Amino acid sequence: MDPTARRQEAFELIRSYLIDQFEIEPAKISFEANLFTDLELDSIDALDMVAVLESRLKMKIKNDELKKMRLVGDVVDYILRHTS
Amino acid sequence: MVSRRPRDQAGEEPRVAIVTGGGRGLGRAICAELAGAGYYVVINYKENEPAARETLAALQGSGAKGETLRCNVTDRAGVKEALERLTGRFKRIEVLVNNAGVTADGLMALMPAEDWNLVVNTTLAGFFNFTQPLLTHMVANKRGAIVNLASVSGLVGNRGQTNYSAAKAGLIGATRSLAAEVSRLGVRVNAVAPGLIATEMIGNLPREAIKRLIPMGRIGRPEEVAKVVRFLCSEDASYITGQVISVNGGLL
Repeated sequence: MDPTARRQEAFELIRSYLIDQFEIEPAKISFEANLFTDLELDSIDALDMVAVLESRLKMKIKNDELKKMRLVGDVVDYILRHTS
Repeated sequence: MVSRRPRDQAGEEPRVAIVTGGGRGLGRAICAELAGAGYYVVINYKENEPAARETLAALQGSGAKGETLRCNVTDRAGVKEALERLTGRFKRIEVLVNNAGVTADGLMALMPAEDWNLVVNTTLAGFFNFTQPLLTHMVANKRGAIVNLASVSGLVGNRGQTNYSAAKAGLIGATRSLAAEVSRLGVRVNAVAPGLIATEMIGNLPREAIKRLIPMGRIGRPEEVAKVVRFLCSEDASYITGQVISVNGGLL
């Protein structure tokens, strides 16, 4: 799969999780959307997201990396770096 | 905070319960109760393998399934590795009972630092080491019950037990804090505070004197605590989280 398609696939995974789990308006979710200020997640919601991503993608998200994630795009990029 | 929907649960996987310090005393009784509730029970022990095997044999004898897990709760790397293996094998680890604990009683003025560290670390580091790695697993399943064994000593100070009281009071604080973090993610966290229970841990206390202090007039039995643990792990306790349930015959 080419890099652009992989990036879009990872984005769609996160987008569908955010819509399904938090009933966020689809139009609000973009690569540049801030998880906390735009999408209104709090730290406990972020923990839920980490748990789901780790479970579905069979990966571990390191705590110091998690602390840097602010935008939807940050999560996409992390997934791309740590999955094949 | 945004709204959330519950997730569907898996069907056929065994439901697993892990009990630290499960080989003897209260731990053994808790393993028996959880096995009776249908859990596959992982009996953690530090070094007393015969006792752990006896606990396993008893629950297998009543038709339940389980295994022993040798691991010192204070060995962070060892615990992490063991839990990684378990979460790799089992999709539904739904219960963790943090029961491992020790006493090293003595007046604080004369207490060696080693006795302080031993008791506090076994309880609090043990709680962290076993609980933290399991949280994302339980949250991903949207299902988990964590029960921490505190003590009447953690609720009121008991002379000769500054270390034990500190550890158990700390465990109660951690119970409430963790409940505030993960309860809306489907994981309930509670504590049970036993009073004086007939186990090796109180073996040397003057029983007749103790009985005068307890309104029910007797020391408790391990299964009387274990049944409360079982309840807290069950759906009957579905709206109970962040609580400390005392089982003490009216002592407090």
